[in-house]
Amino acid sequence: MQSAETLWLCKPRFISCLRSWSVTIPQVTNPGVDVVEGCRLPVLRKNQENEDEWPLAEILSVKEIPGRKLYYVHYIDFNKRLDEWVTPDRLDMKKLQFPKKEAKTPTKNGLPGSRPSSPEREVVRAAGKSLPTKTSLPDFQVLQQQAQNGTARRPMPNQPGRKRKQPPNCGGTDEDSQDSSDGIPSAPRMTGSLVSDRSHDDIVTRMKNIDCIELGRHRLKPWYFSPYPQELTTLPILYLCEFCLKYLKSLKCLQRHLTKCNLRHPPGNEIYRKGTISFFEIDGRKNKTYSQNLCLLAKCFLDHKTLYYDTDPFLFYVMTEYDSKGFHIVGYFSKEKESTEDYNVACILTLPPYQRRGYGKLLIEFSYELSKVEGKTGTPEKPLSDLGLLSYRSYWSQTILEILMDLKPDNGERPQITINEISEITSVKKEDVISTLQYLNLINYYKGQYILTLSEDIVEGHERAMQKRHLRIDPKCLHFTPKDWSKRGKW
Amino acid sequence: MSKLSFRARALDAAKPLPIYRNKDLPDLKDCVSINRAVPQMPTGMEKEEESEHHLQRAISAQSVFREKKENMVIPVPEAESNITYYDRLYKGELKIPKQLFHIQPLGLDNEQPDYDMDSEDETLLNRLNRKMEIKPIQFETMVDRLEKASANQLVTITEAKLLLNEDDYLLKSVYDYWVRKRKNCRGPSLIPLIKQEKRDGSTNNDAYVAFRRRTEKMQTRKNRKNDEASYEKMLKLRREFSRTVTILEMIKRREKSKRELLHLTLEVVEKRYQMGDFTGEVLSEVTAPLAEKPMYTSPITLSNGNRHNHKAEIKIKYHGHHNISVKEEDPFDFVRPRKKYTRRDPLCRPGRPAKRQHVVNKADIKQYDFHSSGEEDYPLSPPSEPDEENDPDGAFAFRRKAGCSYLAPCVAQSSGFLWEHPELVGLDAVRYRHSLTALSVPQRCVGLARRRVGRGGRILMDRASSELDTVLKQLDSAVYTSFGRPGPPDCPDPWLSSQNHKTMPRSGSSLADILSNIQDLRWRCFRPRPTQGDCTGDRSTGRPSVDCRLSEALLVPAKNSGSGELFLNTPSAYFAASAVISASGQVNNENKPHNATVNGVLQPSGELWMNRSGRSLCGGGPLFPAHTTTSTPQSLPNHRDQGHGSAVSPAHHHHNARPSGPLPSALKLATVATSSLDRVPKVTPASAIGSMARDNHEPERLALNGISETTVPMEVT
Repeated sequence: MQSAETLWLCKPRFISCLRSWSVTIPQVTNPGVDVVEGCRLPVLRKNQENEDEWPLAEILSVKEIPGRKLYYVHYIDFNKRLDEWVTPDRLDMKKLQFPKKEAKTPTKNGLPGSRPSSPEREVVRAAGKSLPTKTSLPDFQVLQQQAQNGTARRPMPNQPGRKRKQPPNCGGTDEDSQDSSDGIPSAPRMTGSLVSDRSHDDIVTRMKNIDCIELGRHRLKPWYFSPYPQELTTLPILYLCEFCLKYLKSLKCLQRHLTKCNLRHPPGNEIYRKGTISFFEIDGRKNKTYSQNLCLLAKCFLDHKTLYYDTDPFLFYVMTEYDSKGFHIVGYFSKEKESTEDYNVACILTLPPYQRRGYGKLLIEFSYELSKVEGKTGTPEKPLSDLGLLSYRSYWSQTILEILMDLKPDNGERPQITINEISEITSVKKEDVISTLQYLNLINYYKGQYILTLSEDIVEGHERAMQKRHLRIDPKCLHFTPKDWSKRGKW
Repeated sequence: MSKLSFRARALDAAKPLPIYRNKDLPDLKDCVSINRAVPQMPTGMEKEEESEHHLQRAISAQSVFREKKENMVIPVPEAESNITYYDRLYKGELKIPKQLFHIQPLGLDNEQPDYDMDSEDETLLNRLNRKMEIKPIQFETMVDRLEKASANQLVTITEAKLLLNEDDYLLKSVYDYWVRKRKNCRGPSLIPLIKQEKRDGSTNNDAYVAFRRRTEKMQTRKNRKNDEASYEKMLKLRREFSRTVTILEMIKRREKSKRELLHLTLEVVEKRYQMGDFTGEVLSEVTAPLAEKPMYTSPITLSNGNRHNHKAEIKIKYHGHHNISVKEEDPFDFVRPRKKYTRRDPLCRPGRPAKRQHVVNKADIKQYDFHSSGEEDYPLSPPSEPDEENDPDGAFAFRRKAGCSYLAPCVAQSSGFLWEHPELVGLDAVRYRHSLTALSVPQRCVGLARRRVGRGGRILMDRASSELDTVLKQLDSAVYTSFGRPGPPDCPDPWLSSQNHKTMPRSGSSLADILSNIQDLRWRCFRPRPTQGDCTGDRSTGRPSVDCRLSEALLVPAKNSGSGELFLNTPSAYFAASAVISASGQVNNENKPHNATVNGVLQPSGELWMNRSGRSLCGGGPLFPAHTTTSTPQSLPNHRDQGHGSAVSPAHHHHNARPSGPLPSALKLATVATSSLDRVPKVTPASAIGSMARDNHEPERLALNGISETTVPMEVT
């Protein structure tokens, strides 16, 4: 704790990090008051109906550009992808909440937390409470380094209330446990592509670092942090080659690059083509450059994706749409060559310009078609994102309902089906079938047995949805032979 | 749930579920609450994200409307898709091929530079283009090379010149521009790259470091605490097994060599039997001493540590100085022969009955050559290795070799030199004297030396220094003349020389010339002779020089010294060795009919090689004139103190002449090596001899340089 105190003395601005929020005190109204990291206050934003709303937001970072200050805000209970830099006039200073210095012995309410409590979070807090106050110290050290690196962003540690299900090795045992010089501080697990343990989150990864990406005809606004070379993060626009996804700092460079890059499709084997839709399979070991570029791009839109380890154990299935210029990337999913947990998808993404047009479902459908060829059931790697959950639920619902509605009475008997059968037909893992049936409220216990019931609105809703679903995978167009990766020494 | 008095059975995935329409079951409403009996499946999302406002709104909207409502979707930052210059940027059109694309991943790497010119570069390019024509791609290639060559620090202009091979003006301007740009660059490289992990773990938490290598770690199953430990055990087991396999492999090779050696020995004996050479007469005839050379008994300087103007010399010296201190604890086997004989040398000195010397002939010796090197048996380790701890002599204990006939030391004939042999009676008077010694080829005088026979039958020259050295050097020509030309013309075995010609015809190429020269030399020099002068010939053979040369070569990668480029690197040395050795193998076969010797033939090649290399180490004599020009007095003490004995390696006394065996290959090797080094043809052998001159320090050097395989470096050489 000694070193902790020292730390506080020399870096007073970190104090804010260990504060929680108290209800406003009179001096807030003072216009001269400083809004620092950790403060909470309502911030103006436009909702989808283009109406003003003032959701509570937390200041994550403050930066000064000539003439004014900018505040990086996270809207509480909104997804991080909506975090943004705002001008001071969008802050409602009247309702400013200062972070209160954290008590040495945290009480239940005194614990910091960036979000209002919910039952789940109580659990997390309880876990956090059991940790000594030192818990966040390692983060400080990491952050201090960041600060010394001279980044514009002020360091801000994790809020301890935010998902601090830390393994003990970075809990408060000793401050050096995350010290860089001291061995390997709890590297993430090596399988899979997503992190559920966000304890390594620091302020750097919590904030978007790329303003804008130009990819082919599109300009994309990244949603999350992505570890593109740091010197490129200050650019107003990062240029990507549409086909090889190489990142370039300027349009001139992109122009030059295009004279040398003759790719007009993802550099892999085309394993599916129907109409303008194609799928290319890329081996993360054999084609590292492309795989890495793809991952960097995908990370901009996938919060939980980790790029900690290399791409070797993954295959990448890139979906493209053809036009006379080439095969334009629409989305992709990655897949572990060997999954110990029946994952048939690691990361999945439809690029923003193509979202909400049925491509996501097409990607999902394709992933299950691959599983069907492999003769396995599969499930996407967890955690799912909000959009992932909606897409998968929608796909599962439609797939299962399709089967249920197609079942015809057999010899006058009521049609029946087992969950295992559904799973086998669809390659959807049993658990996902059950959760979908539950979600749709199809399972009922009736007269001593479970039955599936199809209500009117379910049937109608399904029929409407299926009418809109034009894009489908045609299994006949799939030319795919699964490889047995376990027989190779290494991927 | 509270209303219900029974518990629903668990949902069975294998049990058929009948499908009803709601309208068919009007009484279903009563059972609704039982839904909860089915355990709620997790959504798979993170809890805190699950409660996010927009998601919850979307979920509830979906459950209410059964479809998405436009204003209920989860909002995301918007994307634009109206890049107007797209068509100008991405030129050309692509017709969709009928076939699916199939790509060979290896073909993806084209030679295009990774660097892409920016507008700043374009300005420079435009300026340069006023004076000369330079294409963007050319500029990019230059910058690309400069970038890729600069790992930690920028390449210098001289390096850049080598790297780029461009016009000087262009190079200078681009280089200066690059240096300036690089200094202003905010990133670590002008080609933006993903931050790499550092091995020290300092980047483990760096958010910008991506795509770290997966360390070789088993992907352990869950719920198994000891998986990691057992995995490590398995790794260890695997390592040990692979070591066992290696050892067995080596044993196999060794035994093969032994068998072959046995067969060849048998053949030799048979041939001798056919020839009726029961007394060794044929051999002794063949090996009859040449005309006695005049001896100079005046004191001379040791020209032993020859100083070369070569960088390697420094290196060698360094090791020479450290020699003594390192010796005792040196864990490597090279030292073993040396130390061993340091101790035993006094005993050995009395020598062996002279008989043996002439029983050995060249062909015989070449056989060894064939065996041990022809098969590239480098890693063949001496079989006696393992029990070294038990021996009081430690690693340097003498060990009996299977298949080797050992002869008792002739203690009575304490002065039992070869010339004590009946045929050579009367020659032993000179054996304790330092006499002026000269080499036949190159014709030069090495100064005062005393010849004696080491335990393994190697001939050692103890050299003495004197003030007269300078004078003696001038005697060279006299020596030459007085020595006569004991070359092929005098050769009692003209067949051999002709044989040599057959194998390596003098095609007029320098290589052949050198080769035959050396072969002649070898022939002369390895004839067992009673005179000390002749012994010098022993040293002048190519074998030692090759030994050292190759050790040099071996050292190059390890030491990475400035002299490195002058030597062959290891692979090429190996290559040269194997190539040459196989050639010599043929010679051996053809020579077989002339073999008439038994002694020492059975000695396993491993030790034989050690002998040779050891012997080579004791050779202080020059092969090339460059060698003689300088002498290193300071190295003399070393040499003297531990030199004689340690210089001797465990060869056996009676194999006096045998050491000539390795010569052909060695010489060829030297030649090949030399010729392959076009630029510095002289340097390599010269330096090699230099290191040879360092004689006994050589093993030390090898050891120090961490070439740990027991006798490998020696055998390689």
